[in-house]
Amino acid sequence: MAVNGALAAPSAKRQRRLLADGSNVERRWLLWPPLAFFLLTVAGPVVALVHQALSGEDNAFAEALQSEVFVASVGRTLLLAVVVTAATVLVGTIYALAIAVGPVWVKALLMGGLLISLWTSVMVRTIGWMLLELPTGAIFWLLNKLQLRSSPIEIYQTTAAMYPAMIAVMLPFAVLPILAAVLAFDREQLRAATIFGAGPLLTLGAVVLPTIRQAMISGGVLVFVMSMGFYVTPMLLGGPGNMTVSGIINAQLNTANRADVGAAMSLLLVGGTVAIYLVADRLFKVSERWG
Amino acid sequence: MTDSPLRRSIGWYRIPILIVAVLTCLLFYLPFLVVVATSWTGTSYIIFPPEGFSLQSYIGVLGDVEWMDAFKISLRVAGIGTVIAVLLGTLGALALTRLRSRAARRWIRTLFIVPMAIPPVAYAVGLYSVSLRATALQDNLGLLILGEALLAVPYVFVMVSSGLSQADPALRPVASTLGAGWPMIVWRVDLPMIAGHMLAGAVFAFAVIFDEVVLSVFLTPVGVKTLPLQMLTASQEELSPQLTAASTLVSMAAVLLLGGYSLFSSRRAARARRLSRKAATV
Repeated sequence: MAVNGALAAPSAKRQRRLLADGSNVERRWLLWPPLAFFLLTVAGPVVALVHQALSGEDNAFAEALQSEVFVASVGRTLLLAVVVTAATVLVGTIYALAIAVGPVWVKALLMGGLLISLWTSVMVRTIGWMLLELPTGAIFWLLNKLQLRSSPIEIYQTTAAMYPAMIAVMLPFAVLPILAAVLAFDREQLRAATIFGAGPLLTLGAVVLPTIRQAMISGGVLVFVMSMGFYVTPMLLGGPGNMTVSGIINAQLNTANRADVGAAMSLLLVGGTVAIYLVADRLFKVSERWG
Repeated sequence: MTDSPLRRSIGWYRIPILIVAVLTCLLFYLPFLVVVATSWTGTSYIIFPPEGFSLQSYIGVLGDVEWMDAFKISLRVAGIGTVIAVLLGTLGALALTRLRSRAARRWIRTLFIVPMAIPPVAYAVGLYSVSLRATALQDNLGLLILGEALLAVPYVFVMVSSGLSQADPALRPVASTLGAGWPMIVWRVDLPMIAGHMLAGAVFAFAVIFDEVVLSVFLTPVGVKTLPLQMLTASQEELSPQLTAASTLVSMAAVLLLGGYSLFSSRRAARARRLSRKAATV
């Protein structure tokens, strides 16, 4: 109805505006609400953090950077992020390939595992790992049943306890983009490689990996930046000796009662992580793969 | 099978790949199975393997005001947060298709995905310092909901964008030539095409917000807890079968809900494929 009305009386000016791809009015209504929301929810906290960091008597940033605990936790978190990223990208590639080439029951098993991981809360999964790794938990029960060990195991709240759990938490974020790439790429290339006599290794190295490399990088960048902010899983499983930057920030606020230093550390963490993402985005066009 | 070429060209390397993958998926199944198993123990403390079989901890959780309140709070936060995130993520994805300049498109895309990279603890501290200065934002869930919505926007944006990228780019100019104004184009052309993707984005956003624990650590008013926060506190005290029973219940609910949803959407996709095949043969 309204279409007919508009057709019947199109003023020249109006029609020009309508035909233009993305008028200003249109863009304003579509783009401004989200931008205003971002401004509110991002700039607000950042301003508040800067204000709080400057509220102390000393320079909170200098204090944060000179604090040995903080510097050590930055190193630990970076190491953790690197290890988790490398492991999830490597295992994630294998996992995605296995979903593509496995028999139906393996496919179902692997997809089921992914979905369980995606659909259950990080808290639930972390609690599961706690129950596995407690001194007399499920792993001990199994080893004991197999008569491999009779004294309680001591991995709970150690570095060894947190890595498998963190890799399990992050793995779906690596597998999903890689899986999409594996399922999407051109099978004719594989046929061509086989016809020209390429063996499995050469095919993997020269055909499969180059086509899915972009997806591996995207997944890896996502896992890396998310690992930089890891908090709950390392805290519950890694114990006080393995505090991440997030854990240190929390301690500054709640135990040390230094809100200014905590705010400075938060700014450094957010700034560092977002900068890493932006650089990776420029280099590898990560966002373009998603949006 | 579509993947016989891949299978053939990988050859016997398939075996180690499958073995590693199957072992890896134990990382997904084992913690979950242990949580479920410990929840039906007949004892009042957590023990593995469980002793006996009883549903007492389930009855305990469902009758416990603290757990049920936490569940309701989480539903409310996730519900409102999801609405905000879906609205803004969809607007952003639509705006992206209407931008001509490559640089602008690139920045907008990055802007809508960057919240994924924000470390939750640092962001929570930021929101907390906002609440210290604005008394109106204290003692309510407003800031928590806004913050969670921001963290969920990227998921909606990605889903809706992928839906829009599959759409026929000629439709909008056609509608515009026929005289439809932009609100009508959005309403009658874009939204029907991306409704399924919006729903998928909403499901994802809801799950993300419902599970998120860090923001609630810093931003819930005294005495109010979201479900993940209640779990976190309970896991830092003595582990009880109630904790694993609650975990099992909420996971089961998620699996049923999301499993039902994906079954529904894959049925719909299959029907759409059948229809389009039929249309092609006619």
